[in-house]
Amino acid sequence: MRPGPAGRLSRLLVGCHPRRWRERYGEEMLDVLDQHHPTGRTVVNLWGSAVTAHLDPAYRTDRLSPARLRRAALMSAAIAAPLALVLGPVGYGIWQDDHWHPAADEGLVSAAFSEHATILVTAFGQAIDGVDMVWDVADLSRPRRLSQFEGGQPTALSPDGRTVATVTFSGRTALWNVAGPRHPTQIATLPGSDFRHLNPPLRGQAFSPDGQILATAYYDQVFLWDVTTPARPRLLRTLDAPVTSSAGSSSQIPFSPQDLAFSAGGRVLASATGTDQVTVWNVSDPARAYRLATADSTGDFVQGFALSPRGDLLAVLGSNGTVLVYSLADPARPVRTATIRGLLTRARYPDGQSQPDEVLCGGCILASYAVAFTPDGHTLTVVVDRTEMSANSGRDTVFSWPVTGSGTLGAAVTTAARDVADSQPFIAPGDRTVLGGPGDSHAWHAWPLP
Amino acid sequence: MHGKFDGLGRFADPSVLILTSLADGPRHGYAIMADVAAFSGVRMEPGTLYGALSRLERRGWVRPLDTAGRRRPYEITAAGQEVLAEQVTTMQQIVQVARLRTAMAWGG
Repeated sequence: MRPGPAGRLSRLLVGCHPRRWRERYGEEMLDVLDQHHPTGRTVVNLWGSAVTAHLDPAYRTDRLSPARLRRAALMSAAIAAPLALVLGPVGYGIWQDDHWHPAADEGLVSAAFSEHATILVTAFGQAIDGVDMVWDVADLSRPRRLSQFEGGQPTALSPDGRTVATVTFSGRTALWNVAGPRHPTQIATLPGSDFRHLNPPLRGQAFSPDGQILATAYYDQVFLWDVTTPARPRLLRTLDAPVTSSAGSSSQIPFSPQDLAFSAGGRVLASATGTDQVTVWNVSDPARAYRLATADSTGDFVQGFALSPRGDLLAVLGSNGTVLVYSLADPARPVRTATIRGLLTRARYPDGQSQPDEVLCGGCILASYAVAFTPDGHTLTVVVDRTEMSANSGRDTVFSWPVTGSGTLGAAVTTAARDVADSQPFIAPGDRTVLGGPGDSHAWHAWPLP
Repeated sequence: MHGKFDGLGRFADPSVLILTSLADGPRHGYAIMADVAAFSGVRMEPGTLYGALSRLERRGWVRPLDTAGRRRPYEITAAGQEVLAEQVTTMQQIVQVARLRTAMAWGG
């Protein structure tokens, strides 16, 4: 992976340390920089480190006489002046880098909006090694990056935009205070080292619409936490899901950022459980929450689901591109009202000419999906970002169906395609916008749904 | 209050964080940074980390282990454990006084 300007400058500065220092720590520092996400702050820090090391008697090789110091000062000034002219634009580039397109890494994997979609938290990279960024998106066409921290994913943002839930190095949930979004601070780690044995680990997190409850989801368990005071989270309830997996072993589960969701009113919680099920919970009274029902995705890995705004419909999306819609009119007895198959094939072969030898395998990550109901509940939208392994690129296809009151779907009214680099797509709440981005950077972009 | 950390001046904080990180076992550079960020919220940069490691190593409070590729794990020494315990005691005294005084001020 090619480092950005801050990364390149940081590596250069490691080479500016005294020879003895480089021989002792140089390789280690370069290794750390390979894993770190260098920013302008890293550059300044390494510059300070190089200066300090040169002044450190333990690494200074020659004794500096006053005459020698004067000569060094003159030489530094002669070098610094033209360097400032050259580095000025580079510094500006780094500043821009920090504010919009930081160093290259793995793409967007998680996105969470505050209640009125004014603050956005994005996560890039793999699980606990991921980088989280806080954005001011009051004007989504001109996002402003406020801060970043190494919190990993999955990621959830409280409705008031003040608390972010991420994952710790040891796999537990961490809460970050982003009320001062320029200086995120970790305020709590959810207790319960007992959860560390759970495999696969933390699968999803979601705040209730009133922000007082945080749900954390694992393979076959959901924990409900009272986070009224985020610095002192309190476990309210542990929910156990009966799991029967026909889609494969739990270790094959691909991470999906859409594995947990509250209904708009906060009375119903839905969570992906096992590999191919979505369990619906009554959380009207979180301390006495209980399981209502479990819906399946016909043998596919669950890749995402959406609750309708009134909480009366559940759309479940399987990894092979099957959409099942369930009516939750009686939440204890979900009734399937619609089945749409073959979205992945339709996205891969928009001209309708599928390959006869094409094998779509359960558990293969052939595409990423986003699924959402419109705020009025009248339309169901699915975005398919299909991965082109050979071309290292992706193509987003958008499917929309009118939804009837009883939960049946009309004919697909829109099938649009857009060429974008590969990343997980996200549908922003309310304003009919999709987020996505290149698969190899910290950048993302937004475009309107058709 | 005075202690062995005085000589480290402004490097005292990173040193405490690093010793705390190594208290439960050896870690290499990036693992120390990630661990410190997780338990304290402090995002330590590489220059700060290796500056502090260098000082701790010279004082004999941490020791480098054999490299695994480009990564070199560090472990806390018995002297380092002793110093860390001293520092924790001092911190506990400060916390105790702070708690007492804030409780009095807020009528708790």
